[in-house]
Amino acid sequence: MSRVLRVAMGVVIAAAAVALVLVLPHWLSDAKAAELARAGCFFIAIIGLNLVTGYTGQISLGQGALMAVGAYTTAILTADHGFRDLWTIPLAGLVAMAAGFALGLPARRLSGLYLALATFAFAVAMPALLKRFSGLTGGSQGINLFDQALNRSTGALGHVHVLGWTLATNDFLFYLTWGIGLVLAGAAWLLVRGRIGRAFRAVRDSEVAAASAGINTGFYKTLAFGISGFYAGVGGSLFVLASNWFVSPSTFGFDKSLLLIVGAVVGGLGSLAGMALGALFIQFVPDWAANVSNAPGAPSVFFGAAIVLVMILLPGGLGGLLRRLTEPLTRRL
Amino acid sequence: MGAMGKSRVLFGVLSALVIVSAASAGGSSTPGVTAKQILIGGTTPLSGPASAYAAVAKGADAYFKYVNDHGGVLGRSIKYKYEDDAYDPSQTIAKVRDLVQSDKVFAIYNTLGTEQNLAVRSYLNQLKVPQLLVASGASTWGNDYKKYPWTIGYQPSYRGEAAIYGRYIAKTRPTARIGVLYQNDAYGKELIAGLQRGLGKKAKLIVSKQGYDVTDTDVKSQIARLKSKKVNTLMVFATPKFAIQSYSSARLLGWRPLVFVNVVASASNTMTIAALASSKRQTEGSISLAFLKDPINPRWVNDKAVKLFRTILKKYNGGEGLTDYYNVYGMSSAFTLVDALRHSGKNLTRASVMHAVTHLNERNNPFVLPGIVVKTTATSRFPITQARLERYHNGQWVYFGPLVHVG
Repeated sequence: MSRVLRVAMGVVIAAAAVALVLVLPHWLSDAKAAELARAGCFFIAIIGLNLVTGYTGQISLGQGALMAVGAYTTAILTADHGFRDLWTIPLAGLVAMAAGFALGLPARRLSGLYLALATFAFAVAMPALLKRFSGLTGGSQGINLFDQALNRSTGALGHVHVLGWTLATNDFLFYLTWGIGLVLAGAAWLLVRGRIGRAFRAVRDSEVAAASAGINTGFYKTLAFGISGFYAGVGGSLFVLASNWFVSPSTFGFDKSLLLIVGAVVGGLGSLAGMALGALFIQFVPDWAANVSNAPGAPSVFFGAAIVLVMILLPGGLGGLLRRLTEPLTRRL
Repeated sequence: MGAMGKSRVLFGVLSALVIVSAASAGGSSTPGVTAKQILIGGTTPLSGPASAYAAVAKGADAYFKYVNDHGGVLGRSIKYKYEDDAYDPSQTIAKVRDLVQSDKVFAIYNTLGTEQNLAVRSYLNQLKVPQLLVASGASTWGNDYKKYPWTIGYQPSYRGEAAIYGRYIAKTRPTARIGVLYQNDAYGKELIAGLQRGLGKKAKLIVSKQGYDVTDTDVKSQIARLKSKKVNTLMVFATPKFAIQSYSSARLLGWRPLVFVNVVASASNTMTIAALASSKRQTEGSISLAFLKDPINPRWVNDKAVKLFRTILKKYNGGEGLTDYYNVYGMSSAFTLVDALRHSGKNLTRASVMHAVTHLNERNNPFVLPGIVVKTTATSRFPITQARLERYHNGQWVYFGPLVHVG
């Protein structure tokens, strides 16, 4: 397949994704739009996780905690410093990026399970940390922008007006999260195709070989964590808006970090399109599992079974399935 | 949903015309009010850690249905749409926004929980939607009416309640070692503040305060810590599930302090479960405060209001909750709302109901203890400010002392 054709395919896929996002709210109930907006936040965080785990091969169980950093950045700046919620989104990304770099430092020395444990410790400690500094974070009650910064929370009082269009709040949030998500997915696509992406993959495939080819493995590992932190921060920031402008330590328990890993693996590590499916999986399948039976423990069993089933039937994740479906088409091209 | 298409604009214009013509035909343009119906909404924990309070909405709903079958309020029936928020403020926000924006309710009523009501107060006041008879005893509902004129509470304030316990301890147990188990939120903290105020100079009798988060699974470690501080007077400032757990955890440790359990956790049906989960000896002698008639207290079994209470529940709630104190709360609150709606007159508006609810003078509410007057003025916005101390004895609450002012 020639390079031109590959780029053309990418453009077609991107255009289809944009079109889908644009028209979808017309068929959605208000509640579904809100749920999909939250799935969009997971989408963004999982793209970041995919960069560090899927492309660079470093297992991170701390992505949920990085989302918390972004979420609290947005909440604190909006509640206490007079920012409008939307303007805090990039700032949340940058703050979480700094946290991601810090989290990436152990990756220079640790690898495999040991790194996973170090990042997991970060995820487990996050809720306790948030409660500890209650002066800043509001303690276990968290921060409620809907009460404390109602007029700076976009859409909180009703419809949102954008460029002459009137949107229901949840539709607006849907467009916002998936719009930003698609832009960031495009950025990730460009990144993994370039020099940095090649270095990431080299580190993943063999650190020794990468180092002998002159790649500074420590630098690229830390960089991957930093970039993934930016994605997590943006996702976390949007998650505050999409969760009724409310955040508390229990929003980002360590289960969120595990859930994000589940989303990345089910979506298919190393595949970008699969990430959207992974995000939808972790947003909707737990709810579906809870509806199947509400006997004690049953929802977790069903959710677990769904994960196992996907992994057995689709070792490449949902993204792998996508690739298999489109391969005959692209090969003929 | 979504962007307004041309057909939607047309539809919007048409429906606006219909509404305008309906209004000029003698209807009212107040949201949620038609010639036949008043639509009110609220949230309540039908599930989650505080689901014991579900009856607060169910009792009120049953009472409205009873009123509707007896002519309604000045010809209008009341429709009360209550939604489950699982005691999670984030869900309260979503449900209340939905009630206001999609269902277009006339008012938010009887929403349960301190944090839950705080979460939507700014929003409702900004949109000038009444937030009526908040089911929480935080004193801010009555105190901060200048900033939030569309909000009013109902029950005696937590601050005043705990102050009564404080004064009682200072007087009768001057050498007590007080330990506090509290819900770690605005609700629990207000009770502590009230206790300290009531104790006055004796506030140093408090030797330990242990908080729990409402998302915690149990309070075992908190109770163990209180025991280790040699506490002999335990204040339980909790919601029902955790109040029951504090009795059973204390029993497991073989510890039997004198327990003060706050109003919203001391319903007789909660205490019955607490006694079953621990022992009769464990609950014996506990002290609390009451302002409603308790449906399982033999004293009220043949009372007219409690008989009516049972009839209403049988007919409109499938006979459920006949012994549930929180159903009484719901009915009492519904009685007051109906009273306020009547006084708002035929031309019901959001402003007129706020006027009525801040000028209550209700001597005939059958569900509150005899002698209690549900009363408000424009500047005194605590509807119920009287209650009686009670002691748990032989599986039921027994009043002691006269009606006291809870302020």
